[in-house]
Order: sequence, then C-alpha cells, then structure tokens
Amino acid sequence: MHHTNDNPRRPSVLHIFKIYYPDLFGGTLTVIRDICASLKDAFAPAVLVCSQSAERREIVVNDVPVERVRSLGNLLSLPVAPTYPWRLWRKIAEHDLLALHAPFPLADLVFAFGFGAGRPLVVHWHADIVTHAGLRWFIEPLMRRTLRRAKAIIVSDEVLVDSTPLLREFEDKCHVVPFGIDTTGYDWPKIEPHQVNDRGRLVLACGRLVPYKGFDVLIRAAAAHNFEVWIIGEGAERPRLEQLIRELGLGERVRLLGSVNDCERIKLMCLADVFVMPSVTNAETFGLVQLEAMAAGRPVVNTALDTAVPRVARHGMEAITVPPGDAAKLGEAIDTLIRDPERRRRMGLAARTRAFNRYSATAFKQGMEAVYRDAVAAPREARSAAAEPPQAAGWVDTVRIAAALAWSDMRHRYVRSLLGPFWMSLQMAIVVAVLGSVIGQMSNADVLSRLPMLALSMTAWTFLNSVVLDATTALQNSASLIRDRALPPVIFLLQCTFRQALFALHNACVPLVLWLALTPHDLSHALAALPGLVLFVVCTFALSLVLGAMATRYRDLKPIIESTLMLAFLASPIIWSSEMINHRSTVMRINPLTHLFAVWREPLAGGHVDPVSIIYVLVVLALLICASVLTLAHLRKAAFWI
Amino acid sequence: MVSISLRNVCLDYPLYGAYDYSLKRRLLGHLIREPGEMRIIRAVDNVAIEAEAGARIGLAGPNGSGKSTLLRLIAGVYPPSSGSVAIQGNIMPLLGLNAGVNLDFVAEDNIALLLRISGRKPTRSVIDEIWAFTELETRMQRLPLRMFSSGMLMRVLFATATAFPADILLLDEWLSVVDEHFAEKAQARLLNLVSQAAIVIIASHDQPLLRRTCTSIINLDHGRIASTVTVEPPSALPFELREKRA
Repeated sequence: MHHTNDNPRRPSVLHIFKIYYPDLFGGTLTVIRDICASLKDAFAPAVLVCSQSAERREIVVNDVPVERVRSLGNLLSLPVAPTYPWRLWRKIAEHDLLALHAPFPLADLVFAFGFGAGRPLVVHWHADIVTHAGLRWFIEPLMRRTLRRAKAIIVSDEVLVDSTPLLREFEDKCHVVPFGIDTTGYDWPKIEPHQVNDRGRLVLACGRLVPYKGFDVLIRAAAAHNFEVWIIGEGAERPRLEQLIRELGLGERVRLLGSVNDCERIKLMCLADVFVMPSVTNAETFGLVQLEAMAAGRPVVNTALDTAVPRVARHGMEAITVPPGDAAKLGEAIDTLIRDPERRRRMGLAARTRAFNRYSATAFKQGMEAVYRDAVAAPREARSAAAEPPQAAGWVDTVRIAAALAWSDMRHRYVRSLLGPFWMSLQMAIVVAVLGSVIGQMSNADVLSRLPMLALSMTAWTFLNSVVLDATTALQNSASLIRDRALPPVIFLLQCTFRQALFALHNACVPLVLWLALTPHDLSHALAALPGLVLFVVCTFALSLVLGAMATRYRDLKPIIESTLMLAFLASPIIWSSEMINHRSTVMRINPLTHLFAVWREPLAGGHVDPVSIIYVLVVLALLICASVLTLAHLRKAAFWI
Repeated sequence: MVSISLRNVCLDYPLYGAYDYSLKRRLLGHLIREPGEMRIIRAVDNVAIEAEAGARIGLAGPNGSGKSTLLRLIAGVYPPSSGSVAIQGNIMPLLGLNAGVNLDFVAEDNIALLLRISGRKPTRSVIDEIWAFTELETRMQRLPLRMFSSGMLMRVLFATATAFPADILLLDEWLSVVDEHFAEKAQARLLNLVSQAAIVIIASHDQPLLRRTCTSIINLDHGRIASTVTVEPPSALPFELREKRA
C-alpha cells in the first residue's frame, strides 16, 4: 500500500461495542473483525467492549488489542458494566477516530453528555432497537444526540435509511457501504454446485440462538416435511429449541450443532443443499451468513423483513422470500427447492455470482476506508460542532447576566422610593405581628418565643411562592430579549430566584430583629441550619425552572399553580406548627413542604432533623433535578412558545 | 477563524393557536383520542449557507419569506428541525433595539445593563464614550429614559448596541434612526461596525442598500433560497464615497 509510506503513523480507530470475540460469535462481530483486518494498513485498530468473563482484561484477537470491561451480567440485552463509560472516556483521548457500533446505549450515554467531543465519530448502524421497544422514549434522544455529533453513519443498505425514522433525520450523513466477504475461502475443493450430499435434503441455518433469529419457525416448518435441518450457533434459546424438537419428535432430523469454527462452517455451507434465514424481526438488518451461503453457492430461503435481508438475496433470483414467522410458507419454500435440484443449481450459481460481484471484500474495504479518511481529515470541523468549551463559559455568562438583571430589578424598587423593598419587609412585620397575636389567642403556648420562627417561615414561604409565581410569567415578559438578543431562556428563570433571594434578604431583617430581641442567641444552630437552607433554595429553583417552562408552554397552568400554592400554604406548617395539631396528620406527612421546611427549621430550633425528612427532601430534589434536566433540553424551544 | 456553515437546514415553526396552549385540552384530546393537530409552517426550508470571514450577505425577500427567522436561527434562538448549523465566532444579533430596556431607569443604568447583557463590563469610560456619540447633554445621563423623546431614545439605544465590534453581526432591517443629522452619523458608525465584523448578515427590503453593502444577496421565498446574486466589486466605490462624505 503506497499511502502507508507517506503517512508514518497510522491513525488509530477505537471500535466501541458491547461484546467481542471470544465471548461470542456473530454477524456484527464478523463485521468488526473484517473492518479491523482489512483496514489495518491504513488505520491501527483497537476494540473496547464488555465481558462477563473474569479472565484477563486486555487480550489480543487477530492482532487487534481488545480491552474488555468487566460486566456483571445482562439487563435488557445490555451488559451491566458500570465502569464502561469511565473506561470509554479514558480511551477516547488515545485514539484519532471513534467507531461506534450501534445500537449500544451505554456508549450513547457517554456521547450524549458531550464527552469525547474532540474526536471524530463514525457510527456503524447495525440495527435498530427492536426487542425492548418500550425503552425507546429514553434511548432515542440519546441515540439522536450521538448521531447528531457523528461525522458519518455507515449502513449496509439504502433501505435501512428509508425505513428507520431516526436515520432519515440524518440522511445527509448516511453512507451506504454493503458488507463484503472474502470469497476466496469459499473455493472449497469440489464445490461443484451439483456436488451435494447423497440425499439432497440438507437444510442449513446459522446464527446465535436468540428469539429474533426465528429458528423455532424453521423447526416447526420441518415437522410438516421430511428435510433435515442443521442449525449452527449457540445461545440462550437452546433449551427451548431442544424442547420444541423433542415435542415435535424431530430428534432424528433436526440437529443443533452448537458453535462451529469458521473453517467448519464454510465446509458445512458447501455441503448443504439449501440455506435458510428464518429471522422474524427487523433486528436482522443484513444477514451476513446468507451472504456467506451465497458465496458458497447455496440457494437461500429468507424472510420479507423491512431490512436489507430480502435485498441481499432477492426473491426468485438467489432466494425464495417468505413472510416472516410463517412456518407453513417457509416449509413449502424449502420443500420446493429440495424437490428441484436444477433450480437449486441455478439459484446457487446466481447467488455465488452476486456475492462475488456485488458484495466483494474490496468494495467494502474501499468504502470503509473512504468514510474513515473523510472523518479523520476533518477534525477541525468536528471541534466546531462540539460545544463543550463555549458551553462551560456559557454557564458562567448565564449566571452573570441573570445576576445583573436581578440586581437591576432590585435597584428598580429603590427608584422613586427611599425604602424600596423594605416596604415589603414592613408589610411582613405587620403580618407577623397580627398572625402572632391571633395564634397566641388560639393556643396557650408562649407566643413571643415563637415569633422569630414564624417570621422566618413566612420569609421562606414568601421566597418560594414568589419565585414560582414569577417564573410562570418570566419568559413571556422577557420575550424580546430571548428573540432579539438571543439570550438563553434559562437566564430569566434564574433571574427570578436571584431577584427573590435579594428581596428575601430584605425581608429577613424582620426575623433577625425578632431573634436578636426575643431569644437567646446561639450561632451554632444557625450554622447547622445552613445545609438545609441550601437544599430549600435549590429545590425552589428547580421547581420554578420546571413549572416556569411548563406554564409558558401551557398557559392554563398558571391559575392552577396559583391555587395549588395557596393550598400548599394552608396545608403546610408555616403559620402553625406541628405541635399545634393534635397529631401529625397524613396530609402533613406526605406534604413535601413539611419536610422541606423541617430540614432547616429543626436544626435552627436546636433539635434534630428526622432522617425521614432528609430522605424525603433528597428524593424530591433528585426528581426535581431529573425534571429540570428534561426541561433544560426542551427550553431550546421556548422561543416558539412566547 | 470565524465562519458560518448551514447545511440543509430546515425549521418547522409550530403555530400555537389558543387551544394549543391549553394543557387540559391536550390531555382531554389524548383521552378522547382526538388527534391534536398542530399547525406547522416550514419557515426555513433546506437552506445552505457557507460564509467565511469577509462575507457580507444580504437577505432579501417579501414579508414572511423567512428573513428574520433565518437570522434568529443563526443567532441560536430557534433550534433547527433538521440539518446542521456550525458557527464559530461570537454573534451579535441586533434584531430589535429596544430589547431589555427599562424606561424607569436612568439612561446610564440602562446602558450599563444593556452592556452587561451583551457580556461587556460597563466601565465609566465606555459609558462616556457611548454618551459622546449620542450628542446629548451629559446631565441627561441621570434622567430616566421615560423622559426622552423617541428620537433621543433611539440615539441612546443605537449608540449602546453598536458600541462594540463583533465577529458576526446580524442585522434585521437596516436600523432606522430618525433625525436627519444623526442618521448620517449612525450610518457611518454602522458601516464602520460592518467593516470590522468578519461576517455580516443583513435582512432588508432595501435592494439598493443591500447592493451597496453586501458581497452577495440571497433572495428568499417561502423559506427557500430562490436565488443567490453575487454583487460585483465596483459597487464598493460609491460605498467609499459615501463614507467620506459622512
């Protein structure tokens, strides 16, 4: 290869997938192995995968270094490898190009959070997620983010782009590179198409024993006819298939051969009369084994999936295509071929010609190399698409602008008024005085000692209430800044919290004065209350973020939020305390506000916080943070709403 | 390196009617299986623009052809529905002058706040410089903007918005500044700003103006690029004359 001479160092490619040899055999792994092998002159390959085996972590497979991250088992067809994202992040920096073999949501997670943005990424789209379609809503945004930052997406056939909505969004990035196989290995001695086994009724299938491969359909089809079925492969379905074979009494004719090495497999393919690909779902995107069978000159029976399967071996030319999952039709098709040796011979020749011409290893290699080269050649562009450094700076700017706006809001209160926000503090003082006297009438407790806590609770409540209420209208009020100056909407939600925090500091002088005047001063209690207070403020901000965005999108939420806040005020121990109620009522116990107040009020009063309250608040906070992250993702669209 | 690269960018603009703003209705719609039909218009349709430093691009087209929307999309206000937007360099969108103005504040505070919003530190000298450009009396700095006439207000806002050069300048409608003498001065300042920016994109109905200022003009129609016209270099001549006269 001449190009290796003028390029002293080969760019290195990191292949990212969930599993690799020797833990498993299968089509996807064959593809990865072939890419590594065929491009090794131009690119130095490495593989990062998961493995359940406790053996060595770093091994070499076919001259390719493979790192295997320890996995604890499989959950929803995915390896549970908690350290994988970390290892991936560490490895990314060592390589010039990343090749992600999708679907692999664990890696999507890493890319979705913006890690490895500095390296070009190529996605090999092997299949869509079919088996756990219920998780789509969670996985799809992750996959979309990965595809968005990918330089190129490689698919094996155009039909995948057309039939996968997610890929259609990124049509301009998709490159069709059909898999190719090295056909030389299939020139098995005596591979004369008529050279068949004596009885002429041997049917071969090959693949991992997993449900989507549809081997149960094949076994059922065998029951109605008298051909022999050999199935190559291993997997979790084995016990079920064995049971099915026993039930149908096919022990004589249907054999599960288990794992078979490459050389033996090719020999078996040359020996068989018909090759069957009975896959039942779109998880089968290409069917590399049917291509192998075609190279071996075998006629194929495959299924009419929406993928490349019926396009690799075409109905009536190299194959007979039947509806997926239809045992009767499948059996008939196989039987037709078994009974017609001449047709078998013709189709076998056609299949072999197609495998040689259309799916050659050379074309595959050239296609891959072109895509990889383009991806590596334009790393500068990749960096511009990666918004990592500007984003970090962006957050500081966001906070700074929000603070400036809040500060100016507060100063606005002082315009044409000497007292400014202290008018509100005065109002607060009056409310506290009146409430205090009323409560004093209701209960016989010591009113004066209660007053500072009452004032402080009122201040905190006013803060929460105003932040949330302000947030519901904040985006609409700042429409011109969002649309004309392109400021991020989150600024204005942050501004609400900052502004109300400044006002709360004004109001806080009421409880402060009362505290200094009425109760013994103990600063250590105030310090102990600080963490709780921080939790309170963070929860308030997260709540305002979520509700603010939702109320902007759905205008009828604002009155609902207003009345809910009113209700929450009455149902929470703000003006009354829990001791004034006979016993802790259920409503009060499930009310998150009770706990949100408790985490800072209890330590301030010198007591201990109930662990239940802390856990409750942390759970609420975690939920709010999740909701906030979702909201932030949707807030990009806020400009449409205002 | 300043650059703008839009590739096959589309923007589907959702038109929210009164009912689309209602959560209750939307939930009810789900319950009674009434397909909530959202009206969507394609405001930007398959637009590709590549601009390197030095590009002066004019956007022309009738009302509603997507000029402003395209500018906002470049500014990052609207996320594209499909296609890729890659931008390097800091963007200064001047799409509306009175965004973020508080009429109750004194002029000086408004200027300081507006500068902060665009990420600049409002120092005394910067504010004085801006004020000098407005040619208003110094004591008026301490007056709330409410007391300014609309012309005076425009001067202040214009001077503030154009105080700092940017890598990428987005202008919606050549900022119209009212009074005669100031208009000429404003024009000169804007041209100066345009000459300092690496990339300028101007949306306007004013064809002669676009021909004077831009290196290429993109005609938009219903969100699509109808045609791209490259303006011949000689047009730079009257442009220079005009600057000297100002």
